[in-house]
Amino acid sequence: MSTQGNDPIKDRIAAIKTQKNIYGLGHVARMRNYIIEVSGMEDVGYYEQVSVKDKAIGYVSRIGRDTVTVELVRAESPVHVDDEVVTSGRTFGAFYSPDSIGKVVDMFAEDKMTGNFFKDRQHIGVIPPIIPIMDRTKVNRPMYTGLSSIDMMYPIGCGQRQLIIGDKKTGKTQIGLDAIANQRGQDTICIYIALGKTKKTVKEVYTELQSRGAMEYTIILAAFQDDGAPSLYMTPMVGLNIANIYMRQGKDVLVVIDDLTLHANIYREISLLAGKVPGRDAYPADVFYLHASLLEQGCQHKDGGSITILPIVETRGGEITDYISTNIISITDGQLVLSAKAFEKGQKPAVDFGLSVSRLGGAVQTPEMRSVGADVRRELLSYLETREVFELVNMDEMNEDMRRKITRGRAILDLVNQYKFSPIGPRDMVARFAEFADGGNEASL
Amino acid sequence: MKIGKILTISNMSVAILLETFEVSVRDTVWAESDGRRVFLEIANVNGSIANAIPLGSIYGLKKGLDVHLRSGGLQIEYSDNVLGHVFDSFGGLIDGGTIENPRTKNIYEKNLSMAEINISGDMLLTGIKALDFFAPMQKGFKMGLLGGAGIGKTVLIKELINNVYKGWGSNSVFVGIGERSREGRELIDDMLESDLLGKIGIVFGQMGEPAISRSRAAQSGLTVAEYLRDEQSQDVLLFVDNIYRFLQANSEISAELGNIPIESGYSTTLMTEISEVMERINSTDTGSITSFQAIYIPADDMTDLAVNAIMTHMDGQVVLSRKIAEKGIYPAVDVFNTKSKLIAVDRVGERHFELVERSIASFARYQELEEVVAVLGIDELSEEDNHTFFRSRKLRNYFTQPMFVSEQYTGLPGRYVEIEDVLNDVEDILGGKFDHADEDEFYYIGAISR
Repeated sequence: MSTQGNDPIKDRIAAIKTQKNIYGLGHVARMRNYIIEVSGMEDVGYYEQVSVKDKAIGYVSRIGRDTVTVELVRAESPVHVDDEVVTSGRTFGAFYSPDSIGKVVDMFAEDKMTGNFFKDRQHIGVIPPIIPIMDRTKVNRPMYTGLSSIDMMYPIGCGQRQLIIGDKKTGKTQIGLDAIANQRGQDTICIYIALGKTKKTVKEVYTELQSRGAMEYTIILAAFQDDGAPSLYMTPMVGLNIANIYMRQGKDVLVVIDDLTLHANIYREISLLAGKVPGRDAYPADVFYLHASLLEQGCQHKDGGSITILPIVETRGGEITDYISTNIISITDGQLVLSAKAFEKGQKPAVDFGLSVSRLGGAVQTPEMRSVGADVRRELLSYLETREVFELVNMDEMNEDMRRKITRGRAILDLVNQYKFSPIGPRDMVARFAEFADGGNEASL
Repeated sequence: MKIGKILTISNMSVAILLETFEVSVRDTVWAESDGRRVFLEIANVNGSIANAIPLGSIYGLKKGLDVHLRSGGLQIEYSDNVLGHVFDSFGGLIDGGTIENPRTKNIYEKNLSMAEINISGDMLLTGIKALDFFAPMQKGFKMGLLGGAGIGKTVLIKELINNVYKGWGSNSVFVGIGERSREGRELIDDMLESDLLGKIGIVFGQMGEPAISRSRAAQSGLTVAEYLRDEQSQDVLLFVDNIYRFLQANSEISAELGNIPIESGYSTTLMTEISEVMERINSTDTGSITSFQAIYIPADDMTDLAVNAIMTHMDGQVVLSRKIAEKGIYPAVDVFNTKSKLIAVDRVGERHFELVERSIASFARYQELEEVVAVLGIDELSEEDNHTFFRSRKLRNYFTQPMFVSEQYTGLPGRYVEIEDVLNDVEDILGGKFDHADEDEFYYIGAISR
């Protein structure tokens, strides 16, 4: 704190004069975690960037009658009451650098591996702009993951939002990574958004992707637990804003958000601390809008580029009908449900075929893939339903039709089993399953 | 006219210090910030302070800015120009077109009186087996299509547009509330392709837009429908996808204004809000509004307050269930909860009524038998139960249907089925005429060919 002279007003004017580009000045009046209240700053704008001198930066989240509420996004050292707060005259934003590709970065374009900022940093907004309905076109080009249980049965198209949902340790992240690794040679930019992961986990992901040559076209955008809640809350939006830049250059972008369950919980934390009224399960009323506005960034743009989003949601006890999960299911264009039971039985990826859906389905498949996929899926679902009802019936007592249905069903389950990072190209996939659908390799069953 | 100055600003609410009493709830006001006009709607007036909800982004808005009144409040086009055009919730055109000499009207119209409402009407067929059989529709009805996330509400709405609207003589209105923008775009494209866009008025307040936009889409859409009913004396077909999002958006606004919520965070004025909208959807002596409304069930919770508030206004309901969808049965109709006011002997006739009763009884017994079979095996069933078991499975498969709008997904061509065929087929299946056939033969077909 500067010296308190006999004439505080004169001191303050002097202080202001010594600093350039000051739009407004205030002092920290109250603090609660990362939310501070500032007195003064009469001329500040809503969502304007402000900084607590040399200590922290944040944005204006509320302009009250006497004070201004600021949420701190990045704090270098502890903030104290009466610290000076200055306005910046510009909307709060993040940073992005074209050099981020191949690196692990945060929302301020800091290279997490070296701890340095990139030289060529551009200021970008946090909240992505709404993409108007008329700027979108049909989602109809396939985005291959190399996994037959996805590409063939629950396909993903460029511009689609496909949820990956399941319990802990059922292979959710792996599907995202498989999809990223499979984009090699496709001129696609991939963004893997890691939220609240441990540094070790993120480093492992980096090494995995690096060893498969996938980092050449991938940005890992990370917010760790110790970066604080506001940073965790904003990082997915910044990620989609970056995706937007590439989409507008006409590129296809694949974004994996790992994961939105944590994001919802962080948003709840911030909202409750800020004194918002809690709603269902104590989430604020606008948690649906939070995720809807985020995932609506996924689209096939009329100018050629696209953003495909694979958000990940973690469930407990296989319960996909809780509040946050159903919210996100109702936003996305389909969901890939992973089942712990199938995972334990050795099915990889552990897709729950009954619960998974792709709303776009055949629209994003080639005609060959579509016809094979539809046949195989129908046969598999019919088998799974029969298996459920006749679980305890002895196979020898069944009639010929039923026995054949069951043998073929089991064979399909075997065929879609795939180990991680072992993609199958679309042509091979069609060939393999077309032969089966025709009953060609039935003798070998 | 200048009415005051901005006092406080938070995420979705702005307080204005008033200089005049000439301001009331639902007035539209504006402030200029960085050369851009930010519009707001007055939500409440408390002495000399008014709280307003911003209609767009408020980044950069500052304390002390002057606030002005825009006369007329929120308005939308009220003429034949509504047809073939796509509007946002505040009456703005979003399809790149223009309307010359606009004739607009405030979107908060008064409700109809009891004397004005006409409740008679003819049966309206949809060609969807499960709907026409279990929940038949009548002109002037409000039919709710309920389901949790991702089990086929929107596909059903699209199929209804395909089957009903395409054969419909007069104009229609589609209101998209809080749903996917991608689907909005597809709807416009589909209408263009089938040359039907010129007969429909469309209003969108989709899920990526702020709560106020999602909320007001309902009133804007209704104003368009009312124009067709009242000024053009037409029988209007109204599709709403999804009316739950209207109440959800209102709960967001209410929370932002600091009102104490009721359970699950809904606003205390839930019942009033839905009534205000629903009472506008009625038929008069000169024209009618027939509506299909998708209703989202949050967290698969059928007891949800908002869902139940909406249901009190419906004449019929089609409930879609996740348990049924899991088995690959689409439309995933839960026959036990699907009903319509038309299912009565004096409305659909004795035969139809009897068949519905028998089908539901058969399905109920099947549910019990399913557990028995899973434990004891099929051979332990009595002959009668054995018949019920297999006939119910065939009947269940029979009520699946290939949809026109999902041809690309299923690879099967869509089917429109006449109600007479459905009645005959159901009678024959229950009567045992197809006991020899394999149950898979009834999967995704139209009427049974004989």
